[in-house]
Amino acid sequence: MGTLTQSIQVTCTTAGIPLHLNYGGRSYTVKAQPQRWYVRRRWWAEEYRAALGHGPGLVDYQVWRVQVSLTRAANAPMLTLDISHHIESGRWRLVQVHDARRLEEAA
Amino acid sequence: MARSFAHLNVTTAYSAHFGVSWPEELVEVAAADGAQILGCTDRDGLYGMAKHLRACIGQGIAPVVGVNLAVMWDSKYTVDGTLLPAGRVTILAASAANVGVGQAHNLGAGYQALVRLISQAHTQLTRDDRPYILVSQLAAAAGTSPVLHVLVGPGTDVGRLMVQRKYPAGRTRLKLWKQVLPPDSVHVEIVSHLSLPTERLSTSQAVRMLRASDELDLPAVLTNAVRYATPDGAATADVVDAARALSTLDTLTDMQPNGQGWLKTGDTMHALAYEITHEAGLGAAAARQLLDNTQQLAERCALDPAQDLGWGQPRVPEFDIIGIDGDPNTVLTQRARAGLALRFGHLDPSTSLYDRVHRRLDHELGIIQDLGFSSYFLTVAEVVEMIEDRNVRVSARGSGASSLVNYALRISHVDPIEHDLIFERFLSQDRSTLPDIDIDVESARRHEIYHAIFDRFGAERTTLMSMQNGYRVRGAVRDAGRALGLEREQVDHLAKKLWRFSASDFRQALEHMPELQTFAAQVQDSRKSGNQQLDLLVDLTERLDRLPRHISMHPCGVILGDTTLLDRTPVEASGMGLAMSQFDKHDMDPMGMLKLDVLGVRMQSTIAYALEEIHRTTGETINLEKVPHDDPATYAMIQTTHTLGCFQIESPGQRELIGKLEPESITDLIIDISLFRPGPMKSDMVRPFLDYRHQLDPAHYPHPDLKPILEETHGVTVFHEQLLRTFHLMTGCGLAAADEFRRRLGSDTQNDVETYFRAKAMENNWDIQVIDEVWNTLAAFGSFGFCKAHGAAFAIPTFESAWLKTHYPAAFMVAVLEHDPGMYPQRLMVAEARRMGIEILPVDINKSTTHMRLERLTETSNIPRHPWGIRLSFETVLGLTHKEKQRIERAQPFDSLADIRDRARLSKKSFENLAQLGALDCIFPATGISRTDVVHHLELLHSPTKRDRTGRTLRTGSPQIDGQQTLPLGDTELETLPALFPEPTEAQRIRTELDLTAIDTTGHLMQSHKPYLDALGATSADHLITLRNHTRVLVAGVRVATQTPPMRSGDRVVFISIDDGTGVIDTSFFAQAQHATGDILFSSRLLLIEGTTRRTGARGITLQALRAWDMHNPALLPDPDYFDTERDHWADWLTRNASLPTIRHQSQLGKPHNTGSHTRVLRYH
Repeated sequence: MGTLTQSIQVTCTTAGIPLHLNYGGRSYTVKAQPQRWYVRRRWWAEEYRAALGHGPGLVDYQVWRVQVSLTRAANAPMLTLDISHHIESGRWRLVQVHDARRLEEAA
Repeated sequence: MARSFAHLNVTTAYSAHFGVSWPEELVEVAAADGAQILGCTDRDGLYGMAKHLRACIGQGIAPVVGVNLAVMWDSKYTVDGTLLPAGRVTILAASAANVGVGQAHNLGAGYQALVRLISQAHTQLTRDDRPYILVSQLAAAAGTSPVLHVLVGPGTDVGRLMVQRKYPAGRTRLKLWKQVLPPDSVHVEIVSHLSLPTERLSTSQAVRMLRASDELDLPAVLTNAVRYATPDGAATADVVDAARALSTLDTLTDMQPNGQGWLKTGDTMHALAYEITHEAGLGAAAARQLLDNTQQLAERCALDPAQDLGWGQPRVPEFDIIGIDGDPNTVLTQRARAGLALRFGHLDPSTSLYDRVHRRLDHELGIIQDLGFSSYFLTVAEVVEMIEDRNVRVSARGSGASSLVNYALRISHVDPIEHDLIFERFLSQDRSTLPDIDIDVESARRHEIYHAIFDRFGAERTTLMSMQNGYRVRGAVRDAGRALGLEREQVDHLAKKLWRFSASDFRQALEHMPELQTFAAQVQDSRKSGNQQLDLLVDLTERLDRLPRHISMHPCGVILGDTTLLDRTPVEASGMGLAMSQFDKHDMDPMGMLKLDVLGVRMQSTIAYALEEIHRTTGETINLEKVPHDDPATYAMIQTTHTLGCFQIESPGQRELIGKLEPESITDLIIDISLFRPGPMKSDMVRPFLDYRHQLDPAHYPHPDLKPILEETHGVTVFHEQLLRTFHLMTGCGLAAADEFRRRLGSDTQNDVETYFRAKAMENNWDIQVIDEVWNTLAAFGSFGFCKAHGAAFAIPTFESAWLKTHYPAAFMVAVLEHDPGMYPQRLMVAEARRMGIEILPVDINKSTTHMRLERLTETSNIPRHPWGIRLSFETVLGLTHKEKQRIERAQPFDSLADIRDRARLSKKSFENLAQLGALDCIFPATGISRTDVVHHLELLHSPTKRDRTGRTLRTGSPQIDGQQTLPLGDTELETLPALFPEPTEAQRIRTELDLTAIDTTGHLMQSHKPYLDALGATSADHLITLRNHTRVLVAGVRVATQTPPMRSGDRVVFISIDDGTGVIDTSFFAQAQHATGDILFSSRLLLIEGTTRRTGARGITLQALRAWDMHNPALLPDPDYFDTERDHWADWLTRNASLPTIRHQSQLGKPHNTGSHTRVLRYH
């Protein structure tokens, strides 16, 4: 299992559920219904401001656990990834790859 | 179309240190999302309920009402037979439409059961003082209908077991809930904040709860356990969680797992239902079922405020309780006539005044009867009579003094005929709400009176009103600082500099408050160095603004009702033990509650104590009601402006105003009190008034016909009464209507008033110029003028206190020291007594008591002007416990240290403190030993390792004191004690007095600074008056008052008063001086101030400050040759002087708020 935080590109459904993601120059497709959590941040140590009206995303961020496979290789092994979504900025990051070895193989 | 959702578990900000959103905010968000039903379920009470209801009514939403309570399993359900925490449940009241009414036709059975259950919870507290209910009590309260619905959710033991993945145990526990609570009352509460699967409030937990409910055939409902209206509130919730736990955010153990406890939209909640059921492996039907259940429960609990809670329907005590036999109107008439005969016994029935008085009484009684308020007046009269029977001073304040009926019933002591007061200002046909009659009593006996009221009306009809105490800026910055883990000292230091602005304006204040310059720079610096903590401190402080921290008993509200009162309001114990309602003053009218204001006034206690001391020392009994209000000596004293200690006229601004106004009669006092208000100050009524009064300008009347109305105030409209009469004279509308028009001045409908006024006045042939002029006055007068009755009610204790200060100065000052009625620290009153030539006698182990007492001075004392001195009480000694004081008082007199030790049984510290203060000097033998010797001796005895007084450790371990147990002989210890040390110096003595009593008793604390101040050429307060206007001076003293009254211009002016032992110096700091002074403006206690004198009248002089220094910081103080070096600057300043802002009159700037919200009094520590 490897831990990374890299910026990635994610395309979502209209309901905001991840559909495709681009990582390492390759396109992956989400295969199963993904799971979603909101994870707390230590905002008082990480943020510079917390003014009233700061908006959502100060206290927590969204994490999706998605099972993906390469879009162009339908038979490639499935990967389980945790990707985070910062609500305020809309940025996505790759937080965790649950089977990093397989990722390398796939790559 | 958006789908609506009924949130049933919603916490408001009134759940102290838990909720963060105001009910109005929550209702608004829900309404915007199209919700039809919204719950309010605060922790441990119905604190936010009435506000929720009002907001719901406003938005057309049906309210659900409930509570979140801790529950315990009864011992019969537990293995070891002890109470077992079952967590927290949310309990909702079923509506009357579903389960019928309770004790009264306008009281739902569900709401009544909820109220009673909450009160029951507050009678049983856990070890950490938290209310709880037993499951069996909950079951009994829920009843078979059931009238209460219980949501067993993630906060219960079931929820906890589900998070721990102990599914079978959780299901078994849920089964127990089902067995113990009545059928249909249990609902399983499904909540998911979408946290990580291992955490609480996760979908996994929700899924297990859902599955268990399904297996046990219990209905499941969906909530979001809401703590904030929008996602933005999550951070505030984190901070209040830390504040509740007195913890930092870093070390907080049970943080909310994330920030998803907001009032989610209907669409989001519907989606969530599907997400949870999908995760549970159930289909869409299960989600629909969950949403249906929720909607059904919401409908069963949707209350009709009028039917379920008696919304807006007043309930007063039953007639037989007030002691009315028969028709209350007849009884009131009889009592009023009887009272009138006593008040006006001296009047000859053939005079026109007699006739006038009786016609007035009939007029008032007619209106009271038409409104059906007779029983209300009888209730108040009953309370007042009860208070007078206890020999407690009592009088009505406010517009109640306008009523002759009140005067006759002894509710008020102002003669409305003499002062020309208008009943319609108090009560009229056109107003149907119960009038407020506020009663002032002696503060020291307020609690006794409350107990008597409870006894008289019965505990089932009586409860105290509560008040919410919200975060202000200082408390907010302290709690925010702790949450961030900042150094406590650093935050305390900052908190002291924060002065009277709302916490929500903190960041704005950083930009322009001179005293925050240093902090603002620190924020900047730390930001640059990448440390975000100070910026966050500002943000979090702002977030906490106004959030309720706790409730406490209101300082004056007593609620009276009928026997159903405790079915309508939950009660809990107040600080004084009597039951206290969970509702505050804003909830009274809507909840149909009658509130009596019984306010403890320290001045009333002061007057009572002065009279007692006069009686004790001279045998003289004084009836102040019989003292004529035209005593010239009293007004002569007032005109000297040496009015410290007197009611209403002791503040810096008032002293300046009376110096100019020079009151000569009670009417002048009424005018003085009425003028010293923000309104008259802002509209510049004071200066023309003074000019007319002193005949510098001829008085001006818009029309000769108005002269009778305006003559008493030289043509300036000061009183509401004058406005009503003017309006009535010109329009013929009647006084009652005139008061209604007055109330609309300054409101949105002022234009209608103007139209009416102009049309009617034209009809009545008033000249257009007169109409214009009068209307301009009325419009400017707006709603801020003053009710003369109120001024009159205040003027009487003002006169009485001034009369006592004039004729019985020692008795008055001893009473002021005993009851501390005013705005200044006690030590200033000691200085004032000393200035008046009254000797202050220090605490003495044999002569002091627990009260300040007059003591006849012996021949050997220095010959003072007064034969009586003031002996300070043991209460002045900090740290002496109540028990110790009692033991000393019981065992007096003492003849030796051993005697004190054995019979007073003082702690080491108290013993040493008393010795240091000289309280033991009276038992010293004549061997020349000093106070210091005895203190060292005591320290030696008390120290764990024995040393002799030179510091060598003693070999013998046994304390010397063992040898002299309780021999009633002389104090051999002290007699054999060699005199080693000299008496403490005066400066040391004063330092000790300040440290141990906060009062400089034997001298003034500025004395020790005298050499420096003399070298510097500083001026003393008593010399200031001899100087010319615009003299540049340095003054120094102890801060005794700081005020920032509202200003006409909107700029802040800071008024600081200092005391240097010869008197009080009042100084004003404008923007430039505030900047020059900076940090220490509000925090320094000992100030050196440079400024220029400003003459304010024949006897008044104040200082316009240029800058100030902290006397505690010698390094920054100016050198003795300061004046010489500054001479050039001074010349510059003089040339620029003309352009500087000046004020003619501090009182023009407005009065500090009654409760002192603009006044902070610094106690010297």
